[in-house]
Amino acid sequence: MSDALTVVVLLLVAGSATATVAQRDPARQALVLSFLGVLLAALFTVFQAPDVGLSQLAVGSVLTPLLIMLSVRKVRRRARSEEGTE
Amino acid sequence: MTRRAAPRAVLLAAGELLAWWVVLALLWLVLISTVDTLERIVGASCAAVGAVLARAGRRAVTWR
Amino acid sequence: MAVNGWILAATIELGGGGAAALWGVATGPPARRVIAQNMTTSAVCPALLLLAQGYGRPSYVDLALLLALLGPVGTLVFARLLGDDLAGQQPSAWALTWTAAGLGAAVVLALCVAGSPGRATVKLLVIGALLISGNLVASRALAGGFRGVRGG
Repeated sequence: MSDALTVVVLLLVAGSATATVAQRDPARQALVLSFLGVLLAALFTVFQAPDVGLSQLAVGSVLTPLLIMLSVRKVRRRARSEEGTE
Repeated sequence: MTRRAAPRAVLLAAGELLAWWVVLALLWLVLISTVDTLERIVGASCAAVGAVLARAGRRAVTWR
Repeated sequence: MAVNGWILAATIELGGGGAAALWGVATGPPARRVIAQNMTTSAVCPALLLLAQGYGRPSYVDLALLLALLGPVGTLVFARLLGDDLAGQQPSAWALTWTAAGLGAAVVLALCVAGSPGRATVKLLVIGALLISGNLVASRALAGGFRGVRGG
């Protein structure tokens, strides 16, 4: 039973990691990346490492998407203001 | 006399702080693994700090 | 490990919910993607609770608690910072939201019935309440329900 769970979680992690790399737009990439972060925490739990899972959950589900989205917003604003001045 | 001008407001503030404290202290007692005296003391202090912060946070948000 | 119903339930829940959320978050318009990202929390959090019960480790419940707390925060980040892409469309899927809430409530109730009553039961109920209320708040924020709230 445990093997089936491991296979399911590993397949999901592999699929979402591939999907993250395949996205072109950074904002959409951040969405898939947050999904991958939550799934990695589940993978660590399945592998009996809940302490690693806790930190992965905090970093992967909130901090990484927040940083990426803030950078994307700043880059877009700068591009828009440069368009406006030129 | 100005000090005692609004006893109702003071009472309301104290009541809100007390409500926050009770909720947070109960939450602490539910979430810890073993209940002993040290945990109770630490939980009561943290709940007091949290109650002040929660009231400040509630007053900072305005609903339009 | 012996055949364990809780782990079987967690496998089905994680496989089904995870695959659906992955498909939704990786394809389609931005509105559908943020909804799927919001549903990730509702899919994975009950699976973590079932895993904690299946492994017989009550401390694993903390992961579900943290996810129930942080998942909606992550969705709120997207609702706030993805406003340009979501302008004009109101991403809302209330049938899906209430289905996910019902799933979380069913799992929490099943675990409460299975375990002996005590502080662990209250903790499970707190996690369930956090999960469902966070889900509803995040869904309402995505649908544009909190445009009027500002810090003062």
